[in-house]
Amino acid sequence: MEAVYHTKLVEWLTLTTRIVLPLRRAARAAGILARLSVVVAGVGDVVAAGLEPRRAVDFDREIRPILSDHCFACHGPDEGARKAGLRLDTRDGVLATADGVTAVVPGRSEASALMHRVLADDEDEVMPPPQSGNSLTTRQIEKLRQWIDEGAEWRGHWAFETPVRPALPTVGDVDWVRNPLDVWVRERLEREQRVPQAEADARTLIRRLSLDLCGVPPSPDEVEAFLADQNDRAYGALVDRLLASPQYGERMAQMWLDLARFADSDGYHDDTPRSMWRFRDYVIHAFNANKPFDDFTVEQIAGDLLPNATVEQRMASAFHRNGPTSSEGGADAQEYAAKYAVDRVNTTASTWLGVTMQCAECHDHKYDPFTTREYYQLFAFFNQVPENVLERTLHVAPVMAAPTPEQEAAVAVLTRQVEEFEQAMTSSAPERSAEAELKTQLAAAKQARDELVRSIPQLRVMADGPEVQPTHILVRGDYRTLGEQVSPGVPASLGKLPAGLPPNRLALARWLTDPRHPLTARVMVNRLWQMIFGVGLVKTAEEFGSQGERPSHSELLDWLAVEFVESGWNVKHVLKLIVTSATYRQSSKISPEWLERDPENRLLARGARFRLPAETVRDNALTIAGLIDRARPVGGPSVKPYQPGDLWREFAYGDSADKAYVRDTGADLYRRSVYTFWKRSILYPSYAVFDAPNREVCTARRPVTNTPLQAYVLLNDESFVEAARVLAQNVMAGHPGDFAKQLDRAFLLALARPPSAAEATAMESLHHDVLAVYSDRPEEAAQLLAVGDFPLPEGADAVRLAAWTCVANAILNFDETITKE
Amino acid sequence: MFPDPCQQWTRRAFLGRGAFGVGAMGLASLLQENLAGKALAAPSLRGGGGVLHYAPKAKRIIFLFMSGGPSQLDLFDPKPKLNEWNGQPMPASLVKNERVAQLQGQPLLCMGSRYAFARHGQAGVEISELLPWTAKMADDITVIRSMQTEAINHDPAVTFMQTGNAQPGRPVMGSWLSYGLGSHNRDLPSFVVLVSGIGKGQNLHTRYWGSGFLPTVHQGVQFRSSGDPVLFVSNPPGMSSEVRRRILDGVRDVNQQKLDVVGDPEIATRIEQYEMAWRMQTSVPDLMDNSKESASVYDLYGEEAKTPGTFAANCLLARKLAERDVRFIQLYHRDWDHHDKLPDAIGSECRHVDRAGYALVQDLKQRGLLDDTIVVWSGEFGRTPMSQSSTSYDTYGRDHHMKAFSSWVAGGGFKAGGLVGATDELGFSVVHDRVHVHDFHATILHLMGIDHTQLIYRSQGRDFRLTDVHGQRLPILLA
Repeated sequence: MEAVYHTKLVEWLTLTTRIVLPLRRAARAAGILARLSVVVAGVGDVVAAGLEPRRAVDFDREIRPILSDHCFACHGPDEGARKAGLRLDTRDGVLATADGVTAVVPGRSEASALMHRVLADDEDEVMPPPQSGNSLTTRQIEKLRQWIDEGAEWRGHWAFETPVRPALPTVGDVDWVRNPLDVWVRERLEREQRVPQAEADARTLIRRLSLDLCGVPPSPDEVEAFLADQNDRAYGALVDRLLASPQYGERMAQMWLDLARFADSDGYHDDTPRSMWRFRDYVIHAFNANKPFDDFTVEQIAGDLLPNATVEQRMASAFHRNGPTSSEGGADAQEYAAKYAVDRVNTTASTWLGVTMQCAECHDHKYDPFTTREYYQLFAFFNQVPENVLERTLHVAPVMAAPTPEQEAAVAVLTRQVEEFEQAMTSSAPERSAEAELKTQLAAAKQARDELVRSIPQLRVMADGPEVQPTHILVRGDYRTLGEQVSPGVPASLGKLPAGLPPNRLALARWLTDPRHPLTARVMVNRLWQMIFGVGLVKTAEEFGSQGERPSHSELLDWLAVEFVESGWNVKHVLKLIVTSATYRQSSKISPEWLERDPENRLLARGARFRLPAETVRDNALTIAGLIDRARPVGGPSVKPYQPGDLWREFAYGDSADKAYVRDTGADLYRRSVYTFWKRSILYPSYAVFDAPNREVCTARRPVTNTPLQAYVLLNDESFVEAARVLAQNVMAGHPGDFAKQLDRAFLLALARPPSAAEATAMESLHHDVLAVYSDRPEEAAQLLAVGDFPLPEGADAVRLAAWTCVANAILNFDETITKE
Repeated sequence: MFPDPCQQWTRRAFLGRGAFGVGAMGLASLLQENLAGKALAAPSLRGGGGVLHYAPKAKRIIFLFMSGGPSQLDLFDPKPKLNEWNGQPMPASLVKNERVAQLQGQPLLCMGSRYAFARHGQAGVEISELLPWTAKMADDITVIRSMQTEAINHDPAVTFMQTGNAQPGRPVMGSWLSYGLGSHNRDLPSFVVLVSGIGKGQNLHTRYWGSGFLPTVHQGVQFRSSGDPVLFVSNPPGMSSEVRRRILDGVRDVNQQKLDVVGDPEIATRIEQYEMAWRMQTSVPDLMDNSKESASVYDLYGEEAKTPGTFAANCLLARKLAERDVRFIQLYHRDWDHHDKLPDAIGSECRHVDRAGYALVQDLKQRGLLDDTIVVWSGEFGRTPMSQSSTSYDTYGRDHHMKAFSSWVAGGGFKAGGLVGATDELGFSVVHDRVHVHDFHATILHLMGIDHTQLIYRSQGRDFRLTDVHGQRLPILLA
């Protein structure tokens, strides 16, 4: 058994090496290899170690949540709210003696005031007070007693301690294990006496991988090629291909832009348009280039402050110009300047720290060790922007010219031409006619250059003013009530700013990306896990503090976090680990018993199965129909696809034609959804219906709902009706006159599999019935086919095409079509 | 009826499913009957010992939102002193350090009202000549003169009135109620929004009926007056209802087969949602069609109610929605933002809303619905006793004002016929019985049977309430 396990790990090692080695940090890569050998050597020890003894109370898992939920609100970090001077969120507080009373005497529950109070009969004595509606259960009280009697061990909150790579546990079925992730998952399942689902079939797997990593389904050719590839490495090769595909970056940007609260409009009040799309390009390219996550972080927080910052690095700093802004007449600039800084603090905290800081804007945090003072120390990094707070314009300063690489190159060429002509003019004394000629050429080159320069997109970016503006605590969050002055800094519970750097955003970014930072890596690997499995290892992806949920697999989370940092913050590496695991490759079939016991699949005894995200729902349909625009390279300005009526004008301030939604035509209608114009006050309707956020605030988790309005989008939205018609056109053209083959093709496109016999019967019968209807009423067929701009084939049989469009409309509405299986 | 495939799954399984542990919503969602209310309410209404904390007085709410901020000083809160001091500076003691919006840096001068007030109803409540119909129902409504809010610009103030917080991101009251109480409607959403005054005044945000951090099933569904009444509800051109049904049958067959193999209850939910969608394809256009209303209805609501998209037509729809037991009916009427030339604008606004509001209350009363339906008429804030742009009685305007404004309430357990609260003699501040927006919310929830401190949702590691950590129910407002 052990030998097999070794082989697996060595296999995995090779796989890792393949991804890791091309990294820019060869030195780091070497480090990983050395460390991995240690892991392999350690396996035997782990296997020999056997089962652990009976567990004592785990303070962090069992006691802190009790204290946090029931005590911290009055006896926690918030000094203003603290009752009786008692503090139960620190070891010192718990052990302190005041007026001869000690809350906790380690080893002696009978002498501990805490126990007396929770057990008291008197309504005035008992804690928590009955009117709080927050009483303890008998079991919780018993846990507290056990904890005190066992010595009242105290540890910091798990998420605020630097993760260390845990040793791998023992598992019974090592054959199942494909990489170390599986060891943790399997060990947990074995504790629950549960076996995982069998591996999903190859068709399911390629569709799952394509949707997860690229946000689009595989083509039938890709499916066939994968099925035909008998090589052991076929799966890994497929993963590599998908991770290298340009669609990968677009799919990842979809996730990241929710955090970056990226949008094409200002948000508040009149919600005027803004032009931030070059930031989206940055994000897409960064993911495609597998930019190490630490660099990705530093550039977005402080790209403008990097020495000799490149265009790309400065563009990245647009991250913190994405927040909503106002240009409402009668608004107070000071108030909004404070709002913008608050948004930046909260977004930074949610995105990188995975904690909710916003409580501390008004009072010390009630559950976690973040004070109001510390909140404003963070605020002090972000209120230094010399911006025109209430300006109403597309490009509110500070802005930069953000040329595309092509533009940059073209400008360089033209600039060189201009220089050459100028040189020619001055160096040799040209003849009169030649001089005129040169002059004309110079003028033309100059004009071409200037026009090009003018066409370069502008981008709002971050900058710090020439002088540091003083920052005060805003008492209870009120911008008019200035408290004590504070200097920039980070919460003491999470370490210190790096020494030797000026305390600005760059120092903040360096602190976030310190390999010892307890949160940054954990939060990011958890996000990736959430993206793939639907639920993170920490379910509350936005909250790792004491009020968040504990990880379902703490050691796995820590292992992945350490792996992430040591791989050089390699996002593709972590994703590859996840999707090549046996855990990921399971079938998503659900047994009724386990549905009952683990409805959310936290134990991962089956593959994930959930509805696709809003953008993917549309991209999926466009791809199935063959409509999606694949001709253009990734990146570019936002586009306006089909939208019913003129919703924008219905919502607009006053009424003027310039508020209208002017939809695009041609290929722009079929651009991937990540490029759709994101208007905050009225989000693109079909995305809103499928749970996309309006991005007024940083969003770490989207809900996944299931509503009749979603049915309407898939059934009736012009985009989807057109997609059904074009799908019908394509399959009919591919196999004229053969419904069975047409249906096969449509299923392959939509589901990467042929229909079952029962499904084929259902669709044939549908086709038969609607064909009869349209034969009777051909004028209705013509109407249906007129939906959407995409041209009809020459000489199409309208009745037959309409009937097939109905079948395709059904296919695009299957639960399976919009679900990752 | 269609067989219910959900029954083969236990409710607990439903409850746990989905990214937020609210896959239940799929089932509960907009759509289902009391099962939803219970399933959703149980975890949220902590300590309530059941779904509701009190016997509810009201089952539903119609909120007539006057977007832009109507001038209370010209409608509900007469201040002869302002007329007496017209054009004089406001006393520094009142206005010092107080916030203004567009009047920043300008002289703050008293501005009287050009409109006459008279006493109406048994309690003799003073109401402006601009609102003759409202005056006629003075015994049905309670005028609150002591409303107070915390935001001085439109967007944050609307957001504050809707969510109890000026920052975007929190659920609106309608969403809270949908979450807390579920729906008692099989054919319509529990939270419906109707908009009038399109093309005029302040812009709208879908967030004004957004569910914030609550699952999106609790967001309001806008019923539109033109185009599709609900976005995408209509079949594409050339697709008859017969064909649509046939397609839905095909989809259901395939989904059912998938459910049998995979066993994911989300599929069962989706099957049910498609059936709901089918039903709403009939129920929504039916509802939106006012053409079958009797002549007497138009005698009551006025001719304007025949024009879709008017406030009057929306009031009529609101009554129909109330009859169909939609929980929260939100009307938005725009164009109350009268910074200048107020006399030109306010008269026409009043003509649009005055009679229709009256008609709605009377209609509900006649149908026995007023007793358990709350009607609220309110802006996001009021307007300043100070003039803006001119002190002429023909052209004056008023800036935004948050320290005191007026609203009215009716039905659903609110006091009928009377006045609550008072402002100082210049109408600048509340002098007694302040009704802060948080208190207003707490009182409305109370009438719906909910203790506002116990309607809780945990998001981002924190418990949230509509009333944040504030608010108290105000017995003075209750019948």
